[in-house]
Amino acid sequence: MKKILLVEDDKSLCLLYEEELAKEGYEIVVAHDAESALEKVNAGHFDLIITDIRMPGKDGIELISSIMGLRKDIPIIINTAYQSYKGDFMTWAADAYITKSSSMDELKEKIKDLLKD
Amino acid sequence: MPELRKDIVTGRWVIISTERSKRPDDFRPQQVINPDKENLVFCPFCSGNEAKTPPEVFAIRENDSSPDQPGWKIRVVPNKFPALQPGPPPPKKTKRLYQWMEGVGVHEVIIETPDHKQEMSDLPEEHLAQILQVFRLRTIEIEEHFHHQYVQIFKNKGKEAGASLSHPHSQLIATPIVPKRIKEEIYGAERLFRNQIRECVFCQMIKEEQVSGERLVFQNDQFVVLTPYASRFPFEMAIFPLNHSAYFRKISDQETFQLAKAIKQALSRLKTQLSDPSYNLVFHQAPNPKVSEKAWPGIDRYYHWHLELLPILTKVAGFELGTGYYINPVPPEVSAEYLKKEIQLKS
Repeated sequence: MKKILLVEDDKSLCLLYEEELAKEGYEIVVAHDAESALEKVNAGHFDLIITDIRMPGKDGIELISSIMGLRKDIPIIINTAYQSYKGDFMTWAADAYITKSSSMDELKEKIKDLLKD
Repeated sequence: MPELRKDIVTGRWVIISTERSKRPDDFRPQQVINPDKENLVFCPFCSGNEAKTPPEVFAIRENDSSPDQPGWKIRVVPNKFPALQPGPPPPKKTKRLYQWMEGVGVHEVIIETPDHKQEMSDLPEEHLAQILQVFRLRTIEIEEHFHHQYVQIFKNKGKEAGASLSHPHSQLIATPIVPKRIKEEIYGAERLFRNQIRECVFCQMIKEEQVSGERLVFQNDQFVVLTPYASRFPFEMAIFPLNHSAYFRKISDQETFQLAKAIKQALSRLKTQLSDPSYNLVFHQAPNPKVSEKAWPGIDRYYHWHLELLPILTKVAGFELGTGYYINPVPPEVSAEYLKKEIQLKS
């Protein structure tokens, strides 16, 4: 079973994503901020990471940078409410950029695509 | 696809960037994102991270190194999220009273060095000359297409100047319309050429500045760095070639070395005398020759390409936005005097 780390500070949104992605057969581990996400990446194996950008404390861009410093091989999807971060070159470090207004199907497609062997 | 919309009163075009669109919520000041990017441990522009950028369109690299692999010195990649997107010539369309067109163009990023910390002012002159040669080469190739009417080369350095990453880089955006600002320069120079002075007004200004010396910061055999007579900003500088030319694309290899020296002087002076401020470095050149020769016959006699170096030391506020006037608290003569002081150049 593929294991996904979901980094999202909105707890109700986490529940929705967890439920939808579990239906697809993924194991979902949730972190509500960047610091705990980093601890989880350090402690265990993940096949993919989905992260928000705007979060309390360290933001998603700093998180991506830190993860890339540790492991470059985990695909990362940015999942944010904001298109405007596309102007930030650091978002290039992620493998995909999805906005929360996109459909769940689009997110699922992107995950499937990135987890292809 | 982004959209270009025309302000029918002023004739100014605006890029409405759907790709980077902001929701009203984006503008609420909630928290500062990435106040200090220097803490980031990963950079998509650094050597070894080539897979994080779109495939390169050009690179200067070691003989045996492969594209999109380490071994490069200067690397050009398309912007992953471009302000304008490649496409066929976009027709002008109307929507009742208004004019618009699809946002077709080119948006490239020139990664100036594999070294994250080596700023443009610290690069050896030879390396900087090669960056200028890459700008020339990309301009020539992009201008093969008639609808790439204007190639804007620019560099944003520092957060206040709009840079999101400190790894040294420049950008190039080719627009399907000649920008109003450039048209104003062309029309102004043409008017003076035809009605008053019968020679390039820029050449005349350069001579005037050389005679007075009041605003001269640096000069070598082929380029001059000065603080313009009507500078909008404190310590604003302009760099002009002494040999008259409308087109940056015609610069020779030998001239790129002299321009590199002039840029290095200007940037090093900013860094040393003003504690390394953020800045924008902006090229002004004649539009695509295929367009210029039709729209402005004789442009090569009255237009003169140049660079503007704009340190970000003040904020543009209500009066400037309302009137188009700028209030510059430092006279350019004082700026020049200060910038002229002896400095120690790196490498």
